[in-house]
Amino acid sequence: MKVKRYLYPALKIFLLVGLIFGNNILVYGQDAMEDAKVAVSFSEENGIKAITAIAVDQTGMPIEELELYFYVKRTFSLLPIGDPFNSTNENGMLEIEFPNDLPGDDAKGNVTIVVKIKESDLYNDLTLETTKNWGIPISLDPLKEKRSLWASSANAPISLITGVSIMIFGIWFIICYIIFKLFKISRIRL
Amino acid sequence: MRKVNSNGQAFETRREKDLLSHLISTSPKYKLWIAFLLLIILFGMFAYYRQVKYGLIVTGMRDFTSWGIYISNFVFLVAISLVGSLFSSILKLNKNEWAKPLIRVSEFIAVAAIICASIIIIIDMGRPDRFFYVITHFRIQSPIIWDVMIISTYLVISILLLYISIIPDIALCRDRLTEIPNWKKRFYRIMAINWVNHPKQVAILQKTSKILSVAVLPVAFAIHTVTSWLFATTWRPGWDSTNLGPYFVSGAFMAGAAIIVIAMYFIRNQLKLKSYITGSHFNNMGKLLVLLSLVYLYFNINEYLGPAFKMVGVEGEHITELFAGKYSLLYWFVQLGGLVFPIILLLFRKMRKPLPLLIISFFVILGAWVKRFLIVIPSLQHPYLPIQDVEESYLHYVPTWEEWAITLSSFAGLLLIVTILIKLFPVLPVQEKELVINTDINPLIIKNES
Repeated sequence: MKVKRYLYPALKIFLLVGLIFGNNILVYGQDAMEDAKVAVSFSEENGIKAITAIAVDQTGMPIEELELYFYVKRTFSLLPIGDPFNSTNENGMLEIEFPNDLPGDDAKGNVTIVVKIKESDLYNDLTLETTKNWGIPISLDPLKEKRSLWASSANAPISLITGVSIMIFGIWFIICYIIFKLFKISRIRL
Repeated sequence: MRKVNSNGQAFETRREKDLLSHLISTSPKYKLWIAFLLLIILFGMFAYYRQVKYGLIVTGMRDFTSWGIYISNFVFLVAISLVGSLFSSILKLNKNEWAKPLIRVSEFIAVAAIICASIIIIIDMGRPDRFFYVITHFRIQSPIIWDVMIISTYLVISILLLYISIIPDIALCRDRLTEIPNWKKRFYRIMAINWVNHPKQVAILQKTSKILSVAVLPVAFAIHTVTSWLFATTWRPGWDSTNLGPYFVSGAFMAGAAIIVIAMYFIRNQLKLKSYITGSHFNNMGKLLVLLSLVYLYFNINEYLGPAFKMVGVEGEHITELFAGKYSLLYWFVQLGGLVFPIILLLFRKMRKPLPLLIISFFVILGAWVKRFLIVIPSLQHPYLPIQDVEESYLHYVPTWEEWAITLSSFAGLLLIVTILIKLFPVLPVQEKELVINTDINPLIIKNES
């Protein structure tokens, strides 16, 4: 019985120590990860736009089966492009097609293309950003925008602005008048 | 003959003693009540701290049900706030003399409810620090902006409406109450803005009071109509209706009348005002509640008959869910327990006595709150675009304890504001007769001599 009394706590401590050490080894392993080098190039042929990425390690050797993620920066988040999972081939090369229907950020059709290495077992995370005029140019000239309910605030319908303003100013005029009258009440003395 | 109460405070008349005594002494029961309300509010604040720290993920709201009980509660509180205009405007302008003693209580509730509604809408924001973006990124096309504008306007008008009706009584408190702390004396002195019952002052006050009584009505209608437009302008089944404005406004008046009954019952008993708030007030309130409920029933039939007859697509699914689906129990409780049965019961005089009317009003109020839940949540769970490949949690909405705690604390907040207002000001007009505006009268005669 006495053996059991000491054996179980000892086993627990042993397991705990083992876990801590094991974890340290894992952390040490993560520290040993290296940086990958990724070169991104762009090509356009017969209206098909392609992004090519070549990944090499520190010694210049191509990295095979490295997962790369491609995105286009949008207003609030990154829009993934290409397949859900894209891996490099034996030459460390990967090519994806850029969609033709993405609106650009400005009148020139500029878009920001982002290439990432994420959560790789061997290589550190990496983010590359490149601006390219591959988007559909958009006109942001507010003067050319038609007045409507869905337009920017500067181009709200005149009838709406007038209607709301008359109502709000009307009622706030009454409020101000009442406050003024309260002030007058306070000035009257016996 | 001067009346003296237990605190050594002297009063001119019996009415003054009855209506002002509670402003002087604080009973242990009152302190306990305040402590209880503060406890609930503190609990709600803890829940809100968690919400700010971890984000809206602590609530049951997800992508589809993005408006939960916060918005239901917001609509409910806005509805309650309309009661101020019902009494201060509709009943007053129609010269309903019996309703006069209830005007001030209704204004207390209106101010408290609109303050709580304004707070709850900010609580519903995931990023409350961005509230001022509403002003800096002002967009007049947005119904949310209309709501912000009209709520702030109604808040100011409600406070003015209350303040204007109460000035002569504040002056009376300033002149009469001697056995009160100094801060309270100073408070009454400032709030009374040199009111001395001067005929000119009376004339100005009566004029402004009339203007406000008229002006509050369109604003009150607008506040709840605009709130209904937040839904009507969003393309969802159950909201895509032109009936929504009057449906909301009529429901608000019904809920408002019920809350007045509850308030007057407790005020009458706690402040011992049985000779001022009488059985006939309850009888009349019962009749008014029937009238307002009938109007609301009419709009309810309008709201559901059309879609239920056609049963088109998602609109039909929504109706099925309400009539016979997972929300049917709540739906029929609201329609029968909170609307049809109260109407039938209140047709009998016996049911318009204080206690039965109080119980019926509780059911009406409970029904009114659940009704707002049924307006908001089932509609959000039936978007016109099909729901595909989403997390299981997106398909249902169950409020979390944080949401319930915050919602409860908003009710506690409402009760706390009303309780403090009752403690600061007389709940009924103390001066028996209307103040005269005849300038021939010597102002000194009607001055509140201390």
